[in-house]
Amino acid sequence: MSNSVTNSNDYLQYLLKSWSAKSASKLTGLNQLRAHAIDSVSTQRLPNKYDEEWRFTDISPLARLTYPPSQQQLRLQFNDIDKFCLQNTNRLVFVDNHYSPDLSNVADSQIQILGNLHSLMSSHASTIESHLGHYAKFDHDIFTALNTAFLHDGALIIVPAETCIAEPIHLLFIASQQEVSSYPRSLVVSGPNSKVTLIEDYVSIDQSPYITNTVTEIRLAAHAQVKHIRVQRDSKQAHHLASCAVSLAGSSQYQSICVSLGARISRYNLEVQLTGENSNCTIDGLTLISGQQLSDTHTSIDHVKPNCTSHQQHKCIVDDTAHAVFNGKIKVRPQAQQTNSSQSSRNLLLSNTAKVDTKPQLEIFADDVKCAHGATVGQLDSEEIFYLESRGLSKTTARNLLTYAFAADVINRIPVTSLKQQLEHIVLNQTQGV
Amino acid sequence: MSAVLQSLVNQPYKHGFVTDIESDVAPKGLNEDTIRLISAKKNEPEWLLSFRLDAYRKWVTMSEPDWQNVHYSKIDYQDISYYSAPKPKNKLASMDEVDPELLRTFEKLGVPLHERAALAGVAVDVIFDSVSVATTYKQKLAEVGIIFCSISEAVHNHPELVKKYLGSVVPVGDNFFAALNSAVFTDGSFCFIPKGVKCPMDLSTYFRINTEGSGQFERTLVIAEEGASVSYLEGCTAPQFDTNQLHAAVVELIALDNANIKYSTVQNWYAGDENGIGGIYNFVTKRGLAKGVNSRISWTQVETGAAITWKYPSCILRGDNSVGEFYSVAVTNNFQQADTGTKMIHIGKNTRSTIISKGISAGHSNSSYRGLVRITPTADGARNYSQCDSMLIGDQCGAHTFPYIQVQNNTAKVEHEASTSKIGEDQLFYLSQRGIGAEEAVSMIINGFCKDVFQQLPMEFAVEATKLLSFKLEGSVG
Repeated sequence: MSNSVTNSNDYLQYLLKSWSAKSASKLTGLNQLRAHAIDSVSTQRLPNKYDEEWRFTDISPLARLTYPPSQQQLRLQFNDIDKFCLQNTNRLVFVDNHYSPDLSNVADSQIQILGNLHSLMSSHASTIESHLGHYAKFDHDIFTALNTAFLHDGALIIVPAETCIAEPIHLLFIASQQEVSSYPRSLVVSGPNSKVTLIEDYVSIDQSPYITNTVTEIRLAAHAQVKHIRVQRDSKQAHHLASCAVSLAGSSQYQSICVSLGARISRYNLEVQLTGENSNCTIDGLTLISGQQLSDTHTSIDHVKPNCTSHQQHKCIVDDTAHAVFNGKIKVRPQAQQTNSSQSSRNLLLSNTAKVDTKPQLEIFADDVKCAHGATVGQLDSEEIFYLESRGLSKTTARNLLTYAFAADVINRIPVTSLKQQLEHIVLNQTQGV
Repeated sequence: MSAVLQSLVNQPYKHGFVTDIESDVAPKGLNEDTIRLISAKKNEPEWLLSFRLDAYRKWVTMSEPDWQNVHYSKIDYQDISYYSAPKPKNKLASMDEVDPELLRTFEKLGVPLHERAALAGVAVDVIFDSVSVATTYKQKLAEVGIIFCSISEAVHNHPELVKKYLGSVVPVGDNFFAALNSAVFTDGSFCFIPKGVKCPMDLSTYFRINTEGSGQFERTLVIAEEGASVSYLEGCTAPQFDTNQLHAAVVELIALDNANIKYSTVQNWYAGDENGIGGIYNFVTKRGLAKGVNSRISWTQVETGAAITWKYPSCILRGDNSVGEFYSVAVTNNFQQADTGTKMIHIGKNTRSTIISKGISAGHSNSSYRGLVRITPTADGARNYSQCDSMLIGDQCGAHTFPYIQVQNNTAKVEHEASTSKIGEDQLFYLSQRGIGAEEAVSMIINGFCKDVFQQLPMEFAVEATKLLSFKLEGSVG
């Protein structure tokens, strides 16, 4: 894209300016990465509806929102965030993308390295340098490039080999200011034979407008097991742009559950690369939106090596004039024989103005594979409603129950009880509408 | 209509070529003069010339699409001759007068014209390059009021129909190749089934590309009036050439209230040799408009040929309760590339559509299914079922699925399923254990895989298609 186009873009111009004001980090490798990212930003432009990947999600309003990067201020008290906390978890709290040690709760442990990316940079330079920015590529992704350019604080989790972390790790990203943009970053490096459960949680104090642009990178070494639960409950006026890149080595297992509830416009790119034999991943998603929300989920599962398995289920419940987008790509490379992959996209439209665009996509280059995908769009089954009515339930109750059941399918897979209960409440409340 | 136009229209038909221009092949290149030349050669009325020029002016502003999953060297549109006609001989009143050379070629291609006409009762409108040479059974069809002729003939004899419907489903500026076709189309078929008439026989056209270096731009228009029904067959074969040939056809179908159009294609253009040299570029726009209530449009295609296929026979379901169907088998081998599928646009209430697509890739080929199901807010109670299965033979080929599902109405129900598989060792073992040879077993499995589609084909075509498939995949298994 020519520079003139880029330069005319106020949003990017503004961000580029604010970047130059940022302080340089100690680590040269990191500075290089950031410098590359900023170079990449200047060669890219904001995507529009003519870009295939952004066909259904119009983010042009973003260009008008010249929100400055968030500054540290407004000390939150524990009382303010109490409702978001989960019992029996290690907790890292970031307020407007600034690490808040006071609110965090990290059990003193020698076995894991858990903390702020920025402060651990000197002590774990080699691990950070060999992983950070290696999975989330920014050459063709302006938002990942921006995130990398503004990289400052972030969550770092290093699980050493042969280690099982019993308590889930709760990464709580809180938005407390309005009209700012923040760039949360997380890096998870899971060693051979290790096991960890991760909760990535985006919340806001009030319903104000802001931009969250987040990137998460997860690397699983051989035989590692990572459970990744992602909950996006941003303010209904926020823009949420997210990428998550996961790389699996041989025989590792990755389980992802993504629940998308908030934001005016949200976009989540999940890229999973199965780079080792016998690795497998399970990806579940739930989008529950209403009002004028737009929620876009793009997933890509790349089978690079043979004998890998992937299973995906994505569900959307769309009410009012909301708009859900799902694009699920499964790629099977030529040498990835014996791949077993399935994908289903199920969508429930609750109002006659709700809208859904779904595209389950297969790209297969190997012959000895089993791949299937399915997609359905519809409303609640009248016979199921009739059945419940015949058991004495009112029509409204029957509808609510069925809608809840549709969502519960995904919620029930969450392995953390306290979070599951929180989400059950939220979903129950949202599906109780008439 | 002005007097000049009137006289032009009333001129006796001259079989599409005018002798005062000596060359039978237009000079290479495309500009407004080429279009005027084509129009003049075909003795066309003024409105058609302006239709063409309008399309051309839109075309020059458009750029070639690049979103499809196919790769080819850039086409030089100025290096193509846009008009060619067989040597004009006598006027042909009956089959006997058809050039025996020509007949022999058809014979070789397995199109026994006499036999087909006599035994199968198929009226064949033979297209050799760009000009209609022979039309059979016209009289029999005329008895029930059906008009089945070349489109150039229709332009002269039924201008009001052509003018009314041409470009009404595929507008001149619809896409790059449709615009090109609208500007330079030389011939094609025209079919009009009047109110309440059920066409007594299957209508058929055989296409064939002959003169090297001439792209072929067919234009087909099928109109079924209220309560009419017709089954239309299109099949094509092409001989071996080294330079790629462009084929950019446009097919428009219009079904009014309670009308029924079934359009079947067996496509076997030259696909290039085993190294991927040569072969036809098949960039086709096919679209049916189910305009009236309870109307039905059904596409069936067996795509086995062409180096590149880029084709999405679509249905616009505008009438309430209208039905759209798409049945497709796409076979690619060697270096063939196919990006094909359908679009079902649901506008009317209670509209239904079915998509069954089977893709078989072998060798180094790639086949893609690309489909769109759109349920607009007005399409209450719309229903769609799609199924697209792919089979891969060998580990050098690829199969891709790009189904777009866009739903804006909560009373609609849309289902999509896709799967990919290979011919199982256990299946082959089972068949060989029953005494069936490997080649035959494979052909049996493939035919089973494609059965849902072949069932939709008229009988003769189904037989031909089965043979074609076995022939196409010969030697690619085991």
